[in-house]
Amino acid sequence: MNEQAPLLELTGVRAAYGPIQVLHGVDLRVHPGSVVALLGPNGGGKSTTMKVCAGLLPLTGGELRLAGRRVNGITAQDAARLGICSIPEGRGVFPNLTVRENLWAATGTGARLADLEEAAYTRFPILGERRHQLAGSLSGGQQQMLALSRALGTDPVILLLDELSMGLAPMIVTRMYETVAQLVAEGLSVLVAEQFARAVLPIADTAALMLHGRVVASGRPGDIEDQLSSSYLGG
Amino acid sequence: MTSFLTFTILGLVLGAVYAIAASGLVLTYTTSGIFNFAHGAQAMLGTFLYWQLTYGWGWPMWLSLVVVVGLAGPAMGALLHMLIMRGLRETADVTKIVVTVAIMLGMVYLSQWIWHPEEARVTEMFFGANAKIELGGVVVRVHELVCLVVAVAVAIGLRLLFTRTRAGVVMRGAVDDPDLLRLNGHDPDRIAMLSWAMGSTLAVLAGILVTPIGGGALEANQLTLLVIDAFAAAMFGRLRSIPRTFTGAMVLGMTATYVMAYFPTDWTWAGNLRVSLPMIILFVVLIVLPQDRLRVAAVRTRERYRPPTPRSAAVWGAALVAAVFLLALLLDDGSITTFALGMTFAIVALSLTLLTGYAGELNLAPLSFGAVATITGFHFGVTGSGLASRLTLWGVLLAVLVTAVVGGLVALPALRLRGLYLALATMAFGVFLSNMVLRDTTEHTLFGVTFSIFPNGTLIVPPLQVGPFDLRDPRTLLMTATVLFALIGVGLAALRASGYGRRLAAMKDSPAAAAMLGQNLVKLKFGVFMLSAAIAGLGGLLMASAGGSVSGDNFAIMSSLALVMLTVVGGIGYISGALFGGLVSGVGFTIMVGTFNDLATAHPSMESIYKTIGQLLVVATALIGMGVGKNPSGTVHDIVEGYRTLRGARALLAGAAAVEAVLYGLALTGVIGNWWFAILTACLVMALPVAGRMRAAAPVRRTPPELAGVAEPYSDELRERLDRELGLPARERMAKEASVHAVA
Repeated sequence: MNEQAPLLELTGVRAAYGPIQVLHGVDLRVHPGSVVALLGPNGGGKSTTMKVCAGLLPLTGGELRLAGRRVNGITAQDAARLGICSIPEGRGVFPNLTVRENLWAATGTGARLADLEEAAYTRFPILGERRHQLAGSLSGGQQQMLALSRALGTDPVILLLDELSMGLAPMIVTRMYETVAQLVAEGLSVLVAEQFARAVLPIADTAALMLHGRVVASGRPGDIEDQLSSSYLGG
Repeated sequence: MTSFLTFTILGLVLGAVYAIAASGLVLTYTTSGIFNFAHGAQAMLGTFLYWQLTYGWGWPMWLSLVVVVGLAGPAMGALLHMLIMRGLRETADVTKIVVTVAIMLGMVYLSQWIWHPEEARVTEMFFGANAKIELGGVVVRVHELVCLVVAVAVAIGLRLLFTRTRAGVVMRGAVDDPDLLRLNGHDPDRIAMLSWAMGSTLAVLAGILVTPIGGGALEANQLTLLVIDAFAAAMFGRLRSIPRTFTGAMVLGMTATYVMAYFPTDWTWAGNLRVSLPMIILFVVLIVLPQDRLRVAAVRTRERYRPPTPRSAAVWGAALVAAVFLLALLLDDGSITTFALGMTFAIVALSLTLLTGYAGELNLAPLSFGAVATITGFHFGVTGSGLASRLTLWGVLLAVLVTAVVGGLVALPALRLRGLYLALATMAFGVFLSNMVLRDTTEHTLFGVTFSIFPNGTLIVPPLQVGPFDLRDPRTLLMTATVLFALIGVGLAALRASGYGRRLAAMKDSPAAAAMLGQNLVKLKFGVFMLSAAIAGLGGLLMASAGGSVSGDNFAIMSSLALVMLTVVGGIGYISGALFGGLVSGVGFTIMVGTFNDLATAHPSMESIYKTIGQLLVVATALIGMGVGKNPSGTVHDIVEGYRTLRGARALLAGAAAVEAVLYGLALTGVIGNWWFAILTACLVMALPVAGRMRAAAPVRRTPPELAGVAEPYSDELRERLDRELGLPARERMAKEASVHAVA
């Protein structure tokens, strides 16, 4: 499988917020159809890596490649149109738009509203019932469903998930990852950053451990899991 | 009944125009988070352009309408967004307000430059003033019908846009989260540009429609303020809801018409009331309608201020007094009076340093508090008559005290307001005061006492005299104002360094966190507002007595806004920023325009060039204000940062001081003129940081901050640099803490 060219590849990526450098050379590959879990404690650089992949934060060094093409300095809107679907940390919804309007806004990548609505309401019927409700007044789980719906209907090439579990009940987190697993089964590639490794390791093909702005270990999920506790506890 | 219907329709028409203007305001605010104070000025510019095309150049009306509303309006909005507004992300409220205020002032200056304000210009109603239709016994002008139709069309159009089109939905999403919009494949900049273009078009449309209703005469300030009245309507909709904005506009329009129609004619203040009604309604709406809750997370902004220690403030204060004393020796009496006037403005500006710079609250009408003090001083603090009349010390104290109380009273209902809302409330107070109190020249009889608040439209405020100490002498006045400025400045620095100052800073950075630590925010705000009003009052009273006499125009909202703008340009967090703002806004304009007018009279062949340069400089001041968006910490901050490179360069500093001393000696003995002295000094001041940078440019390899302590030893110098990069002020405090730890 590793013979295949990676869909998303980061080589020696550096990134900074103003004068403060956060990523010191991140190497990461996501192969087609695989799920890569980005693990690590707070402040390790997971979210920054996700922002770089989504085009929200420019690189200060290294290379970002999409399907073999160097795309350093790509804007987020272009990345989205190229098929990178990124669901940011927190809730990836517009709180002051209704459910339907949120889906409408998601058609910026070229999808059709009707397709999006159908995909979302079939997978999450509760969203169909509340299509005219403001997204901000939905429960946390429903908001995350709505955010995930963007990945369902827009047919992306790669899905970036940042802290899907944040602030959600464990049962909902399980349901979310079930949906992700189904998407993967349909052939989607996923890069998922997660603090709570338990939630994501079962569906991951590869896991990478990030510490202090670098990927310090990567490999099979089982192997990485053993290293987790020592790195989380600052060993 | 017919007259009631007529007035109702007139009210609806006025409301319709307010609604058009206010919906443009809501549009830009919801999509970019910037409350556009320049909205009225945009309307004004558009109307003037329309006048120029139709009446100046005789174009057919439909053509100029197409050009102005269809091309110039959108282009103006798109340009504003591209050049200025998009640079305003992640800046504090005060910066956003000041930049749009600067645009407003710049547009007003620009229009006064192009269209000389003393010529009369009139635009007529569409289809003429005599085209009328009778509807059920009520006669309505066609122009008024046009206004109503346009307003309805705008309402329906906006409603459809926001709910039925993707562009509109995305516009609403832009407020929530522009980054998420980009992740969805949209370009937030393009969306914001579209909304600015539409907002600007609506402003222009409102301006063209409203001018003939208000009599047809074009006057830049008046037209600008007329659209500002629409702020109240926008506030009805909490700057968000278009339908509620329209309701608010109708209420506003009809109330104004009914007041005009049904108040008894012997109530002389009814006319003034009608003019200030929108501002009263704005104030009430701000206070009564629930506003947004406190933001819990600390607001991250780009502004950085380094508060001075009381000791360094004292040293600089003494240096300022000495410098002004030496400078005064060079000047003639007339210039000294002008200079003193500027210094009193600087004292008013100090009230902003305290309120906005330290406490993070906003006041857009500092001069209005000065007006309160002036009125009090005039009525209760003057002894003697004619040339022998003098302001007494007790009078000044009383005036300051009354201003503090008024400041508290204004702040009291506004205490739960923050940021933009507080700024609008103070602006409403300022405009209200200008329209109601400062225009109140008639005599009232209350409890058997006959008085008038502002007799004859001017107040003669005599100079202060305490014992042998007489401020009639301009030099004494200048030195007194300077010493007062220095004293208050040092006091403010001491205040900032005290526990109270830290509480203010905490409130500014995160009101929620400060409240959770058990701070009584209401008490803090109340106190700081009163203190700031007192300072503004003292400055205002001195200003009035320095000028000899004042009229209501001296305290107009435009002057207040210019003062606020220039203080922010200087650096709202710095005492020297107040000095800069006060001097430039108080007398800078007068000097600039005066100098070039003098040059123009002296060299008639170059007259037009000199006059143009003078006007250009005035417009340029507003351009500086717009530059605040790029450099929100202020000019003073930059200069201080520039001079930081000179630390330790004793030889260079000593040399510069010697050169300056020689220059001063030459100027004093009359070898070189004052202008040469000023120009050479300015050159010296600007050259110094450059020299310092050249000196510091010796190749020092810098370790990235995160490798500090790893790749190089963790020295004191390094710690200082880290503090600077992270924007931490606490060099001394950390040293203190370190010693505490050592003891522990």
